[in-house]
Amino acid sequence: MEINTIITGVGGQGNVLASQILGNAAVHKGFHVSIGETFGLSQRGGAVMSHVRLFREPKYSPLIPPNMAHIIVGLEPLEALRITREFANPETLFIVNSRPIHPLNVIAGDVDYPDVRWIRNVLEQCGSKLYWLEGTQIAIDLGGPIMLNMLMLGALCAIEMFPLEVRDIKAVLGETFPKSKLEMNYKALDMGKELIRNHEN
Amino acid sequence: MDKVSTTEGGKRMLLQANEAIARGALEAGIIFAAGYPGNPSSEIIETLAKASHDLPIYVEWSVNEKVALEAAAGASFAGCRAICSMKQNGVNVVSDFLTNLSLSGTKGGIVLVSCDDPGGISSTNEEDARAFAPLSDIPLLEPSSPQEALDMTRWAFDLSEAIGNIVMIRSVSRLSHSRSDVVVGGLPDFTARPYFDTQVPFHTFPIITKHQARHEKLKAAEDLFEKSSFNYYRGAQRPELLVIGSGCAVDYALDAIQTMNLWERVGVLKLGTTWPIPRRLLLKHLQKCQHILFVEDVDPFIETHVKAFAAERAQELGLKVFHGKGSDELPSCGELRPAQLLDFFGNYFNLSWGAENFTNKVETLINGRIPPREFGFCPGCPHRGSFYAIKTALAWDDRDGFVSGDIGCYSMAIWPTGFNQLKSVHAMGSGLGIACGYGKLENFGFEQPVITVCGDSTFYHAALPALVNARFNNADILLVVLDNSATAMTGFQPHPGTGKTAMGEPTQPVDVVAICKSMGLDVYVGDPYEMKQTAEKLYELMQQRGPRVMVLRRKCALVQGREGGFPYGMHVDQDLCIGEECGCGRYCTRIFRCPGLIWDKEKKKAVIDQVICVGCGICAEICPQGAIKKELK
Amino acid sequence: MEKELLEGQVRLVNEVIRKGICVRCGACVGLCPYFQYHDGKVVVADRCEAGTWRCIQICPRIPYERASLYEHFYQIKEQPQVLGPYKRIIAARSAEMQIRDVAQYGGVVTALILFAIENGMINWAVLTDRGESLAPRGLLCNSREQIIACSGSRYTASAALQEVNLAIKSGKQGIGFVGLPCQMEALSRLALSEPEGRERFSSIALRVGIFCTWALDWRRLRSYLEAKGLTGIAKKYDIPPPPSEIFVVETQDAKMELPLSEIRKIIQPGCKFCEDMTAEFADISVGTLEGEEGWNTVILRTDKGVELFDRAVQAGMLEEKQLPASNLDHLKEAASNKRKKALQAREEGEDG
Repeated sequence: MEINTIITGVGGQGNVLASQILGNAAVHKGFHVSIGETFGLSQRGGAVMSHVRLFREPKYSPLIPPNMAHIIVGLEPLEALRITREFANPETLFIVNSRPIHPLNVIAGDVDYPDVRWIRNVLEQCGSKLYWLEGTQIAIDLGGPIMLNMLMLGALCAIEMFPLEVRDIKAVLGETFPKSKLEMNYKALDMGKELIRNHEN
Repeated sequence: MDKVSTTEGGKRMLLQANEAIARGALEAGIIFAAGYPGNPSSEIIETLAKASHDLPIYVEWSVNEKVALEAAAGASFAGCRAICSMKQNGVNVVSDFLTNLSLSGTKGGIVLVSCDDPGGISSTNEEDARAFAPLSDIPLLEPSSPQEALDMTRWAFDLSEAIGNIVMIRSVSRLSHSRSDVVVGGLPDFTARPYFDTQVPFHTFPIITKHQARHEKLKAAEDLFEKSSFNYYRGAQRPELLVIGSGCAVDYALDAIQTMNLWERVGVLKLGTTWPIPRRLLLKHLQKCQHILFVEDVDPFIETHVKAFAAERAQELGLKVFHGKGSDELPSCGELRPAQLLDFFGNYFNLSWGAENFTNKVETLINGRIPPREFGFCPGCPHRGSFYAIKTALAWDDRDGFVSGDIGCYSMAIWPTGFNQLKSVHAMGSGLGIACGYGKLENFGFEQPVITVCGDSTFYHAALPALVNARFNNADILLVVLDNSATAMTGFQPHPGTGKTAMGEPTQPVDVVAICKSMGLDVYVGDPYEMKQTAEKLYELMQQRGPRVMVLRRKCALVQGREGGFPYGMHVDQDLCIGEECGCGRYCTRIFRCPGLIWDKEKKKAVIDQVICVGCGICAEICPQGAIKKELK
Repeated sequence: MEKELLEGQVRLVNEVIRKGICVRCGACVGLCPYFQYHDGKVVVADRCEAGTWRCIQICPRIPYERASLYEHFYQIKEQPQVLGPYKRIIAARSAEMQIRDVAQYGGVVTALILFAIENGMINWAVLTDRGESLAPRGLLCNSREQIIACSGSRYTASAALQEVNLAIKSGKQGIGFVGLPCQMEALSRLALSEPEGRERFSSIALRVGIFCTWALDWRRLRSYLEAKGLTGIAKKYDIPPPPSEIFVVETQDAKMELPLSEIRKIIQPGCKFCEDMTAEFADISVGTLEGEEGWNTVILRTDKGVELFDRAVQAGMLEEKQLPASNLDHLKEAASNKRKKALQAREEGEDG
């Protein structure tokens, strides 16, 4: 049994930290975990992609094979779309934050950032389901744009297919964040879960 | 308290492979660790540095990799266990010492970890450091998982002491930065007592004798490798195809075989000890079939050595057909990826795989409308200011001047984010080295002014000898030291100028300005945020001869962000902004290109992205209409 | 202006900058960030992609129908006399010794500007500073000290129109400008440019032109002087009247005489296309009075110019006298020669 999740975004959004927390929670819950990361120069405005693989049997394989991602969590919509062709399949479930982070070449006017509604439309046609979340504004209300990654983790845990719950994440957060930051992050996780619940209704 | 240094033996925990290497070293009882930051290796020393707060070990960031290995060797000569880690380029830097060290031999177990970067994701080149193992006649281990990284590292110190020589471990980006659940071993009592036995010196003389002895050591390692559980075989007893490989590439092969259900037809010889390749083991498995596939990153290292071995033993092995990089059936450049292995097996066994319907559908829907994501300096980065000033000064000078570049975040000035200023980037310190060449061409009619940039960390690492050279040979060089008080690109490790060590202790900073002055150089210190003044000074310096130095000093924006942030709130006055019209032409977004400045296509005005902008305020200077406003927060 | 002639910054780069015929008038500097002036040169700092282009409309090295300027400023239909349109031509000098001491010849320009400011006819004056270790550049002045400090001939261009452009942009009104013939032409073309040319030009209250045969390339001049062993900042330049063929440079401690034949090699290549010696598009044009040290030749071209001059004389700022006939003839001959050479140089196809 394996569950393959990709968390993708732009350098600085905290997706590596999110994948680490996720992996930690999974280990505590008895899963075997493989997390593959692409980062480095990415911090300077480039894309960052984490492959989080949960297994029941002991296995190490850091990259999800082509078109075998079960869930794609996009902290940034363009990045979610970018990896769709290579890693998604008709059954893939998408959880995507709606707010673009403009690449430098778009800001400079060299190329256009596609209409976000078009991105949403394409994603809807590609997988089995799309959760399109207004994550950034909620994150800002929660304390700042950096809260987005925890919000999205909360959303991920609300997905039935995904074997971890928000409480599993909360259980390990103390290993990553100081006590003073815990409440804030718990709240973000809960909010993320809410977003998925509300989406369903 | 850090999890790597405190978790008890037998526990299962999520570890990054680099963290696992650090843990393995601790379990082996190292008391000394040295390295130089370099992606993807930096986390090894960083993890050990954190551990040094809990355990009695010494960890340092050395000024460069050569000194790091030399320092680690000192600990080894004094009978203690030591580890030294670096990226592939670092191995080039240590090579002179390494080839001598492996001749003199070592005492306390010592391990060199090279973390290579296939595909050059965060490097100036793509290189396979394994070549140094046969070059220096030292054993080489390649882990394929974080668990193996831990176990191999721990064992490598025993191996090193068993043969009396340094052992090399080779990881790659994909492995180093991946995480997996790992079962850790127990931590020892750290009872090292350094002592140099003056009866047993570490000479490389007599050279031939030592060289022969080195070969014997290697043979002893090979004997141990024959029985090692780091090598194993899986799959068909009588395969149609034998896969021989190492590292992450093997994991992808195993995945592909699983996916395509080929276990009846394919066998995999996974090698963890890859120099010397244990020949009895190899012979045994090579006899299994005629067709051999090699899977590895980056060069055909195992491939070439096995082919040579097969040629030597051709009488026993018969004709073999080799597949891999040599046969062009796998790519000879870049990181090996799962899709490439699936492709190979698909072609070889005439099986289809993949979701072509889906991928075609997506491609049609997307229709090329996804723009690439350009790399750039962070908002508030002082390098943006520095290169804007450099670009301006070179334009004013109007003699086709250019910039000789070096390694760091500022290397990105080869791209539009730094106004495409850098015309060459090679190794650490090479920017100034190359400039020493340009600097002696005036008598041949060379008139183009050359500005060399190097970061503060790079300065200490490698630019210093080049600067001495420029002074000594009186070369016409203009060195601009971009001092942002950090080794930023690799993750803000301390360096000799920051006043703090890897272990967090305060230390006497080594002052770039003082060093230059001691060489009789005039040094000017400027602020890269003051772009006009900096440009004026640079222009002035460009009209002079001989070695000249300017230091542009301003903290890295990410560091500043953590230390209280920036003072300004920014906005663009929408009435004053004239956007695309004559007089501006979207100057701020098109040319200056800070991610905090966005072009609003509907309103046709520039706008500050309040989420991204940090409030450094320097863009206010560049607007021709004065529309960018800054206010103290 | 026919719009189909316009093609953007690229045209200026290819036809003027790259051909090396830019005369550093500064008209294109200060309009936008893409052209910049520093230390004697106008350079392309970045490439522009804007939709309309003021720069090619006003650059004096981009061909232009001169007739439209005569018509706009003087309401005349065809090419006037060789010195350009004028109402009166006269000799004059500053009545103040202090001004004559620092001036190149008679100090008339300095005196006129001082008078104009002190009497509210202009609020600001864009002049040219002396240049020290860097080339001269334009200076926005409104005080007596600043104005007097700008006295004296430069012999090199200064891109002073940059300061005019910046002053207009910052909303200043009543600007007076002192400049070379190429700069006066560029300023005049500004009045006819689109968009907003008329509006921008309305900030200009006074135009004083300086006679000019050619200007030197500052950077090459500096290299030449360094090679000749001249250290220190040049404080004054002069070309004594014929038959002496020398160029005099004075620093704090030294005075050097250099052969004019060598200096002529340092003339800006762009100057050879200029047909205007006496700055035809100005309210008042001022130059040397050959043979009479300490006096200027003054050409009054517009009503505004006449009014300013007469009031200055009445107020005792200026002394005037009749211009000797031989001087007038000489001047006409020199102006006519410059025009002929320029038209010939353009025909030889080196101009656009």
